[in-house]
Amino acid sequence: MNSAIELNNVGWKAGKSFELKDLSLRVPVGSIYGFLGPNGSGKTTTIRIFMGMLKPDHGEIAVLGRSVPNDMKKILGRVGYVPERPHVYPALTVGEQVKVHASFFGAWDAGWAKELMGRLHLDPDRKIARMSKGETGKLLLLLALSQRPDLLVLDEPTDGLDPVVRRDVLSAVLDYVSETSATVFISSHLVHELERICDWVGVMDDGRLVAELPMQRFKNGIKRLRIVGAPEAVEQIPFTLLSRQRDNGAGSMETWIVRDWESPMRDYFDGVGATVRDVIDLDLEEGFVELLRSSRPQYENGS
Amino acid sequence: MYQPMLFLHWKQARTFLALAVVAAFALPLLASEGVGAPRGVDVSSLDAYRFGFEAWLPFFPALAILIGMTLALTAWNWDHRFDHVYALSLPVTRWQYTVQKMLAGVTLALLPAVGFWLGANVAAASIALPEGLNAYPNELAVRFFFAILLSYTMLFAAAAGTIRTTMWVAGVILCFVFFGNIANDFLGYYYDFFARENVVLIVFEWMFETAGPFEVFSGSWSLIDV
Repeated sequence: MNSAIELNNVGWKAGKSFELKDLSLRVPVGSIYGFLGPNGSGKTTTIRIFMGMLKPDHGEIAVLGRSVPNDMKKILGRVGYVPERPHVYPALTVGEQVKVHASFFGAWDAGWAKELMGRLHLDPDRKIARMSKGETGKLLLLLALSQRPDLLVLDEPTDGLDPVVRRDVLSAVLDYVSETSATVFISSHLVHELERICDWVGVMDDGRLVAELPMQRFKNGIKRLRIVGAPEAVEQIPFTLLSRQRDNGAGSMETWIVRDWESPMRDYFDGVGATVRDVIDLDLEEGFVELLRSSRPQYENGS
Repeated sequence: MYQPMLFLHWKQARTFLALAVVAAFALPLLASEGVGAPRGVDVSSLDAYRFGFEAWLPFFPALAILIGMTLALTAWNWDHRFDHVYALSLPVTRWQYTVQKMLAGVTLALLPAVGFWLGANVAAASIALPEGLNAYPNELAVRFFFAILLSYTMLFAAAAGTIRTTMWVAGVILCFVFFGNIANDFLGYYYDFFARENVVLIVFEWMFETAGPFEVFSGSWSLIDV
């Protein structure tokens, strides 16, 4: 088993408004996979599909080497899940919710749950209905981690949390991963947050996976080039051209946004009689925006 | 898995259940207060002894239905509120989850039924019955429990599905009533049977009377009978 999660040509349609189009995705075992995308791009839908909560119209899905939805019971026993919206019972106390949740999981680690409760400053006697969003988020993480999962699925786990709680949540996840070598699938629209912790990244937009690559390549490979004398037609380029734009009032100067860039590729421009003036690193957020822009047909013509 | 399900349902329904147990205990006692010959009625008549009790009869199935429906709604309330996400993320099959939830509700339904049984027995013991009349507290308590179960089961099943499924079921029933009457009137012009009888009414009469599934609501709720 090389992939903790594997989707092949998965399609799902919700009326006329939204569609997942032949989605294929691979999450390597042991990786921390950041699932990026703007709101409404299909991140939560994708998660719900591979968690067996939604039935796809077509396609094949495997999680932890087992088929979805046929082996869901066995799969879910090894998956810790933190959903986008808190789903715990408000009438329970923290201690009661932990006890209820523990009864469903054979690998439940009561000692670690207790330790996490102290570390995340959760009061076992506190009623969930009276807890803040941050406290509820920490409780959800505690429930997911104490299952000792092989796969941790976190859907926008830090959305709306203050920086202190966000740090607590992420450090608890990282500590768990360092101890267990579990796979983490974390969805977010907060690019900078994933930049620090993920080693793989998948980018969703409008129901499509527009990029899937190691984070290092994503971070280092997207550049803004300033080029003089660029050819009108581009053929057999050794990198991926995301967008190009002629600079206003600057003669033949153009700005190109490219992916998979490496320094030796300057030779290509020498070969076509152009000169690369500057190679500017884009930070992950800029790279993310440019990637989305290039993937959307309406931007292709600069409209 | 049954134990956490029972606990979750109990947390959700406990206030209502406490009130339901008190009401179920009190109802036979209140009803038995009216037992005896009212003014102007011949005391030698056995029916006179049942007269006061019968005025309370509609409250018995009504209370059972209210308990059953509330238990069903509280069983699914949290699941619907969170789009069933929690249930679907647990390592249990859907049918296992549903069956355990159903059983938890049945267990909780025993509480008001036991309250009713105690109340009915105390009421029966407090009435001096003339020759020829008997009290049936145990049988009445069993009927009360079955009435709770039936209303609980029906609404539990409806609430377990999607709104679309529920609308489908309701639509089929309404269509049967509406189009069944039209079809019956039409066939009445050609066949004597349909001119004499209304098939829709026959079906409903069968369901609520004699051996029908809803007879438990409409049958005899008398604590005292011959």
